[in-house]
Amino acid sequence: MTDSGSSWLTRAEPARVGIHLDGEGPLPVGGADTVTLGLLDHGHVETITSAKYRRARGPYCLTGDCGTCLVRIDGRPNQRACLTRVRDGMRIGTQNKLIRAAPDPTRLVDKFIGTMDHHHFLVRPRVVNQAMQAVARELTGFGSLPDHPPDGASAHEVSAPDVLVVGAGPAGRAAAQVLGGSQLDILWIDRGLDSPTAGGLRCRGQTGVFAAYRREGIWAAMTDDGTRPPTLHTIRPRHVLLCVGARPPTIPLPNNDLPGIVAARGLLRQLRRVDATLAAKCIVIGEGETAQRAATRLGARCIAPSRVTRLEGSTRVEEVVTTDGTLEVQLVAFAPTAAAAHDLPRQAGAKLRFDGTGFATVRDDDGRCVTEGPWQVWAAGEVAGVMSDAGAADDARRVAAALLTAAQEKR
Amino acid sequence: MPKRTFVCRCEDVTLAEIDHAIGLGMTKIEELKRYTGLGTGPCQGKECVGGLAALLCARGLADPDRVQPFTARPPTEPVTFGALAAAGDDE
Repeated sequence: MTDSGSSWLTRAEPARVGIHLDGEGPLPVGGADTVTLGLLDHGHVETITSAKYRRARGPYCLTGDCGTCLVRIDGRPNQRACLTRVRDGMRIGTQNKLIRAAPDPTRLVDKFIGTMDHHHFLVRPRVVNQAMQAVARELTGFGSLPDHPPDGASAHEVSAPDVLVVGAGPAGRAAAQVLGGSQLDILWIDRGLDSPTAGGLRCRGQTGVFAAYRREGIWAAMTDDGTRPPTLHTIRPRHVLLCVGARPPTIPLPNNDLPGIVAARGLLRQLRRVDATLAAKCIVIGEGETAQRAATRLGARCIAPSRVTRLEGSTRVEEVVTTDGTLEVQLVAFAPTAAAAHDLPRQAGAKLRFDGTGFATVRDDDGRCVTEGPWQVWAAGEVAGVMSDAGAADDARRVAAALLTAAQEKR
Repeated sequence: MPKRTFVCRCEDVTLAEIDHAIGLGMTKIEELKRYTGLGTGPCQGKECVGGLAALLCARGLADPDRVQPFTARPPTEPVTFGALAAAGDDE
C-alpha cells in the first residue's frame, strides 16, 4: 500500500473522519466524502485485480456505472466505493488481489495472443476444460461472502404513483421543479448519495432502478444506505420520466485501464459535492469545449487523444507519453463525449439511435419515448442526447411541462 | 507490464482481441459479445458497448443508422438477493 503522505485534494472543510484501508489507518477524510474520494485524497486509486490479465484496476467513472470500484465495506463485499459515503471507523478492503505478484501463472495467456486464440484454448478435451474452468472461477470470482447475514429481512414497498421520475442530475432537478407544483402523486428517485428534495414530490435517495418489466407493468428499484437491509420497491406508475443521464466511455489508448485514470465528469462531480479542488498533478485527455473546461477546473493541461502515444505505470498511472514527450502525472482525467444511458430506456421499450458515442433515446416532439403498453415513458436531458448541463435542464423543463399536461388530462 | 488497449475493462477484452474476432468473421455486436465476453461483467456494457459500436462504424462494419446495443437485461443496477426475496411470491 502506498500513501503519498501529502493530500491530493484541497478542502474547504477539514478531514475529520477516519477510515481504514486493508487494515491500515485511520486515514483522515472529509465527512461527506465518498469512499472513492476519501481514498483518492490519500493517493489510493487501486481497488481490484482484473479478471483475466491480473492487472491493477481502480475506480474510473466515479458515478456508479463502471464496475471497477467494487470494495468490501464493513464485511459486505462488492460495494461501489464511488456511491458510498464514508463513516467514522469504516473498514474498507480491496478485493481479488490474489496472485498479483510475479510470477503470475495467468500471464501465460499473453503468450497465446496473436499465435493462438485463447478463446478456444483448453476447450477440448472436456475434462481439461472443466479443470480450467474451475481454476478460472477461483481466480476471477468477485469478493468473498459477507461476514454475516443482513440484520433482518428487506422491506418491500409497493406504490402506484401518477409519475415516477428517475434521476436527480441537471435534467431531473429541473423537471422536479416543474412537477412539484402539481396535485399529482409523484415519486422521484435517484441512486446518488444526496437525497433529492423538492416540494410536493415524494423523494428517495440511494435508490437504484434496476429493471423495467413491461409485461408486468412494474419498475423495480432498491434503496440501500449501507447500514440497514436494503428496501425493495415495486412501482406501477402511469408515467415515467427518465432523466438517467450519460456515462463516460473509455478512450482507446494503450494502458487505458491503469488505476489513477478517472473520468473527468465524475471527478468534477465528486469534488463539487464536498467543495474541494484537486491538488494532485493531473492531465486531462480529451478535446473540445467540455474537455477544456474540465481541465481549467482541475488545474490541468488538456491533451487531445490523438497526441497521446500511451499511458505508463505499473500498478497506477505514472506517465503520459505524448508525441511531444513524456509527462509525469498522479492522475489522468479522461474527458470523452459522454454516452447516453441506454439500458433502462431500452428495457422500458424505447427505440434507440446511435449518435456516434452512445445510444440516445428516440422520442417525439414532446419528449415521449414509449406510448404503447402499461405506461407512457418520457425522456429528458443526456439520455435523449442533450449533452450540456444547461441544455439538459431546459430540455427537462419542456418535457416535464408536456408530461404534466398529459398526466392531468387523463386523470 | 505488457501494453494493452482495453475496449471492455470488466471482462479484460482488448482491442487486439476484438481485431482478432473481427478477423474470424465476427462483425456484429452480438457476436463479438458472445465470443469475447465483452459487456458481460459488472457494468453490463455501460462503458464498452458504445465504443464497440463506434469502432465497427468507423471500419464500415456497421451502419450508424441501424446499429443497436445488445439486450439490456435486468438488473441494470446492483440488487441483493435479500431485496429480491422481499417481493415474496406476489410480484
